[in-house]
Amino acid sequence: MSETVAVLMRKAPYGSVYTAEGFRSMMGIGVFELDISVVFVDDGVYALAKGQNPAALDMKPLGEGFPMLPDFGVTKFYVHEGSLQERGLTQDDLVMNVEMVDDTGVAHVLRSCGVVLPF
Amino acid sequence: MLYTVNKSPLMFGNLRSLLRIAPADEPILLYEDGVYAAVSGTASEELIRKALERHPVYALRADLEARGLTNLVEGIKVTDYDGFVELVEQHHVVPWL
Repeated sequence: MSETVAVLMRKAPYGSVYTAEGFRSMMGIGVFELDISVVFVDDGVYALAKGQNPAALDMKPLGEGFPMLPDFGVTKFYVHEGSLQERGLTQDDLVMNVEMVDDTGVAHVLRSCGVVLPF
Repeated sequence: MLYTVNKSPLMFGNLRSLLRIAPADEPILLYEDGVYAAVSGTASEELIRKALERHPVYALRADLEARGLTNLVEGIKVTDYDGFVELVEQHHVVPWL
């Protein structure tokens, strides 16, 4: 197995701590210069939606952090196109450009990594 | 890859979602509340039957016993902790939490 990590994001932001913790782990993995791929599937795609403003929840906006991750060495972002379509979203609704992948594409990215960290 | 599920299929979409992604022939392991998917006669039975057409499906014995689940859908392979460890040794794990 190769020394690569996939971070698998399947939860919506704000309803649980998963998105924030996934983001923190991406930064950490990136800083240590490990090869990392981030995959958004199911409600995980909502983490990348534009226009998030959780001020009234007294939480920090999570979406706007993702476009900064390339500065930390995290550059490979994949979004499951079917999950995005089911939620009425397109690439234009996301905070950054990502690579769209189909069902097989998600499995391929996961298989190409040595470890899968689920959030 | 070994795909693992620990949520009830009647409460959560985890199993349905992973069945869309997991390529044919890759094994699925049901553990914790995931083992409810293995039971015959539930509203989610068709889901696991479809899964069995494409995948080996394992259910963890300790979790079945703890929940008193005995009437399993035909084709489910019941495994113990040693079997779980073997599966994890043989495959790269994708926890579909």
